[in-house]
Amino acid sequence: MPKSKPPEKVRPPADAARFKVGDRVRVKDMPNLFYSRTQMYIRGVVGTIAECTYKDIIPEDEAFNRDGRIEQYYIVRFRQKDLWPEYQFENDTLQTESPERWLEPAD
Amino acid sequence: MSARRDLLEQQALIGSIQPAVHVPQNWNYEVEAPLFKAYAHPPHDVGGQFDAPILYEEKEEEQWEANVYVTCEVLGWRGVWNSEERRRRADNDLGYALYLGIPYYGRWIMAAARMLVDKNHIALTELIEKIAEVKARNAKK
Repeated sequence: MPKSKPPEKVRPPADAARFKVGDRVRVKDMPNLFYSRTQMYIRGVVGTIAECTYKDIIPEDEAFNRDGRIEQYYIVRFRQKDLWPEYQFENDTLQTESPERWLEPAD
Repeated sequence: MSARRDLLEQQALIGSIQPAVHVPQNWNYEVEAPLFKAYAHPPHDVGGQFDAPILYEEKEEEQWEANVYVTCEVLGWRGVWNSEERRRRADNDLGYALYLGIPYYGRWIMAAARMLVDKNHIALTELIEKIAEVKARNAKK
């Protein structure tokens, strides 16, 4: 029998960041299967990249202890009015963090 | 071991853990997409869901909670699991009834026990027998 390849110990480097501060992005609504860290209340909503935080392992890999893929994380800023239909105050915002694969360009 | 009457009372309690508005269902032949999405929703994602007001309490940490915290951290340091597995995915995998029904650190220790069984560090029978032994010991006190 051929020897199986040992598990990759060194994680491949992440690709260059796809978004920059100020970019408009929409949160994807991917199927929930077994696990997700992307909140329902931000899915489908358009926000603005507030910060490119760091590159780290994606939640879907880490949750199952895969020697996972590294991806750029962003802090995305939303208008509260865009998140909650009944929200009354124009200027209030909410920030939360997302890995790149959950975001797509809004325009 | 429990008396038969205690077991019947226990069964009634289990039956009572159901949604307040009960939709009859029993391994449905067809599950429409929105309902499937609802079933597959991870319990920890509660933001934006409707709920009744609850009392806000400034609760002090108890000793057992600190013990659970340290146990779970040590399991992490030893490389048995990572934070995403333990605090998030494993808690969700307990299912809605346990997730919502027991305290925050109750989830952690249940998830830790489940993980130790899943990863073959202990056998389920070993764990069950140990719990029964400790219960019997405490009952004598």
